[in-house]
Amino acid sequence: MDKKQKSRSAWNQELDDLIRGACGGFLFGIPLLYTMEVWWIGSGAEPQLMLLALGITFGVVFLLNRTEGFRKTQSVRWPDALFDSVEAIAIGLLSAGLMLILLQQITLSTQLKEAVGKTIYSGIPFALGATVANQYLSSPENYSRPEEPQDNLNETLSDIGVTLIGAIFIAFNIAPTEEVPMLSSSVSGPWLIAMIGASLLVSYGIVFQASFANQPRRRRQRGLFQNPLSETVISYLISLIAAGLMLGFFEQIEMGDPLAVWLPQTLILGLPASIGGAAGRLVI
Amino acid sequence: MSQPDTNPGPEHSKTDAADSEATRSLAEWASLAIASVILVGIVGLAGYLWLGKPRTQDPPQLTVRQQGIRVQGEQFYVPFDVTNQGGLTVDSVQVIAELSVDGEVVESGEQQFQFLASDETESGAFVFSQNPSRGELVVRVASYSLP
Repeated sequence: MDKKQKSRSAWNQELDDLIRGACGGFLFGIPLLYTMEVWWIGSGAEPQLMLLALGITFGVVFLLNRTEGFRKTQSVRWPDALFDSVEAIAIGLLSAGLMLILLQQITLSTQLKEAVGKTIYSGIPFALGATVANQYLSSPENYSRPEEPQDNLNETLSDIGVTLIGAIFIAFNIAPTEEVPMLSSSVSGPWLIAMIGASLLVSYGIVFQASFANQPRRRRQRGLFQNPLSETVISYLISLIAAGLMLGFFEQIEMGDPLAVWLPQTLILGLPASIGGAAGRLVI
Repeated sequence: MSQPDTNPGPEHSKTDAADSEATRSLAEWASLAIASVILVGIVGLAGYLWLGKPRTQDPPQLTVRQQGIRVQGEQFYVPFDVTNQGGLTVDSVQVIAELSVDGEVVESGEQQFQFLASDETESGAFVFSQNPSRGELVVRVASYSLP
């Protein structure tokens, strides 16, 4: 392997590790991101408490990193664990901060103290999720679905099934909450488009970039879900339908509601649903 | 779990894993540097808010600003803004409006805001069935609680 190629693959691997961490963070942190009490606690928290929360999180993340982390290589030596902890917390804070901006919980008119508090309190579960990404997103190679090539229709149907299960798994506990209509009233116009983009980006990342355990097998798989782009788009659409049905089930939206009511709510719930859907196809 | 690389992706070879375990690559240093900047930044901001004490400990100071009356159908809408000009964040801000005609309260309304941080402004409106400009309208903050 020549030097140039080696350095490029090092960058690729680093990117892979970081995206894996972020995806783990999203899977773990999204339910708390959609909880208004966390925003309030963050807004009201005193700065010294914020620092204390960060410090405790750092300790927990450091201990977790000694045994498991978001990298494929284990960082059992303490400087490595220390560096990985810094990165896991930064991934958490960055993901949570961006999501809070996307959900319009941090805007230009938000006070600095509130913005910092919300980012820290929402970022903590993201950081924990990033740390254990390798742990709970990996599953044994010789596990579950049959390896023999099946016909395309069956593969596609089973992919649709696991996408639905994953979407329901994550989004079902968010669907009946007050946050969905609340967020949909504050997120509008261009932010909804950005919401779609973020959902697609995160689910694409989960399935194809982060190389979770089952990915080599997925790449061998046939069916409608084979092409990365079409897989992401189709799984997003399935997740949106699941989100809409869940909202209907909990009577958040009803037949005859105007477009301006059901579309934003479905897109808002579509983010956790698509994240769950993407992960479902790997984990289940 | 204990084996470091059970399922290497197609782009990962064994040599890469061995390399990165021995020394940190440039890529890893770069992402560590960015991560450190983010972490130091947020800790710095929290530290500034704590030690710099940019008025965050001042008592709450709530003011209500009433706006013009809007008539729609049979109803009179009185929009208002409530602002916390103090430092501390308050919970459950209660705003009440009383419309008195000839010294007697004929209509009243109440509105509660979940949350009002320093310099934050929330808006709402009271709705009356009688014209507020014919009597005396008082819109004021009645209470709040500290979180």
